Amino acid sequence: MLAQQLLNGVVVSGVYALFALGFTLVFGIQRILNLAHGAIFMTGAMVAYYTVAGGGPLWLGFILAIVASGLLSVLVELVCFRRLRKTGDEEFGGIISSIGAGLVIMSIAQQVSMTQVLRFPFETFPVVIFKFWGLRVSMLQLFMASAAIILVIILGYFIYRTSFGRRVRAVTNNEHAAMLMGINPNRIYSQTYFLAGALAGAAGVLVGLAFNSINFVMGEPYLMAGFVVIILGGLGSIPGALLASLVFGMGQTLTIAYLPSGLTDTVIFAVLFLLLLFRPHGLMGKEEAGNLRGRR
Amino acid sequence: MSQLIAGYLPLFDLYLLHLGLAFSQYIVLRAGVFSLASAALAGIGAYTAGIFAVKLGAHPLLGLTAGTLTGMLAALFLSIPLARLRGVYQAIATVAFIQIVVSLNIYSEGLTGGAMGLNGIPKSVGTGSLLIAAAAVTYLVWAIERNRLGRAFNAIRQDEAVAASLGISITWHQSLAFAISGALAGLFGGLQAYHSYALDPNQFGFHLLITILSYVILGGRNSVLGPLIGTAILIILPELARPLAANRMVIYGAMLIVVINYLPKGIADTVIQQVRDRRLRLSGGAS
Repeated sequence: MLAQQLLNGVVVSGVYALFALGFTLVFGIQRILNLAHGAIFMTGAMVAYYTVAGGGPLWLGFILAIVASGLLSVLVELVCFRRLRKTGDEEFGGIISSIGAGLVIMSIAQQVSMTQVLRFPFETFPVVIFKFWGLRVSMLQLFMASAAIILVIILGYFIYRTSFGRRVRAVTNNEHAAMLMGINPNRIYSQTYFLAGALAGAAGVLVGLAFNSINFVMGEPYLMAGFVVIILGGLGSIPGALLASLVFGMGQTLTIAYLPSGLTDTVIFAVLFLLLLFRPHGLMGKEEAGNLRGRR
Repeated sequence: MSQLIAGYLPLFDLYLLHLGLAFSQYIVLRAGVFSLASAALAGIGAYTAGIFAVKLGAHPLLGLTAGTLTGMLAALFLSIPLARLRGVYQAIATVAFIQIVVSLNIYSEGLTGGAMGLNGIPKSVGTGSLLIAAAAVTYLVWAIERNRLGRAFNAIRQDEAVAASLGISITWHQSLAFAISGALAGLFGGLQAYHSYALDPNQFGFHLLITILSYVILGGRNSVLGPLIGTAILIILPELARPLAANRMVIYGAMLIVVINYLPKGIADTVIQQVRDRRLRLSGGAS
């Protein structure tokens, strides 16, 4: 039983990792908390659904979802944040602006889906269950876990092994210095937002497949979970976000399994709250997380 | 004519209720605290007042006092940990607080009625009482603004280091702003409980947070006129354009983006600023 729960926990963690990596990437590079990230995630699931419902194969839906949510994310950056960064009010303004973007995207999705819960047609993804060592693993779970791992590896390669990644890290460290080195930060921002949105969209498709229920508010619990994960990992830290999604995914699966139902949210957010108090820079963050004494 | 007024009375009631909540959000932002907890504090106040009326059969005034006090105490309690955080971290912590309150509310069924909500609250608050409460609160906020306290809040919001060097205690003033915000949220939560027969835990969640925040952002965060105007616009707008009512959230969202990008000070404050500039220019020209 415990082993089975741990296994389920790993699969869930993969999805959280995809979601939170984009979230933390964007925060790391711009110090902006993009609250529209949950809506972008939902858009991914919706695009995949409508592709499949329109007769397309699932792989096409997956690719379209990734591209569409990536582009949407770029659009959010252009419309909501670009101007704010010039005025220098992005910390407060960014939150407000992205709440607005999230509302707009979600309302449009609500009207497109007519407030209904959408379900993939039966056997969109073949239901195959493997059993070994007394554990049950579905093909879908294997697919989710491997998709998450592959995407994370691709992201890691991009960020740490390519010149694009070097530019991103340069802008993250110091936008002004990066500009002096001939890097166009606006371009880097667009590319980073595309990556972040694409990862969120992929997570959206996986979640849509796993629970086979897609609706316009499906992003909200993931946005809340994303908060916990990126705080736990340290805002802006990529390895931190990976570790934190594992801890969070496991913790959540176990609390659901072993604690009275209905208390899960309370426990999770109480942990987040305590975490902010005692270790606001998270497990692996370096920043003196908004602490007055640290910064001034 | 009287029928026309009667038709718009519920809208006016809603305006007064949300005005109080908008002031609750306004006062913390004004003191430089990025707290979004007003929705949860209103929920706490509303449930306290509701439980007092339903379970204990208490007099509405007693229930409202209890709601106000619990809101204030909860806010004070919240201000201790929040004093350690800044900016985005405060916002996340208060969003977490909202989620905790909502989920505890749903969980403790015996006391709050759980997901079914708290029903059968006797209606004892009408437009008159709401008007009195809203007027009193507006006066209170206006008085704070003209007072030493308002100037201290301004100094803290603009630069904490400067404020501290002028001998303004940041922790004390921010706790005070929190306490006022909590009391206002609790009071108007309580009023809402006595005004609407029933309470639903999700009524005081993320959605309410966004609504309240939009009022203050749209109206302006630096003058008492801000929340008054912002709330009025956002409540009347969907009514003026009935076909748009279904798209209420699109309007809210688009407005948040446009206002924060192009009118970052909000409507009221921008107008006040322009009037002031004009006056300065005119007097400058005369002398």
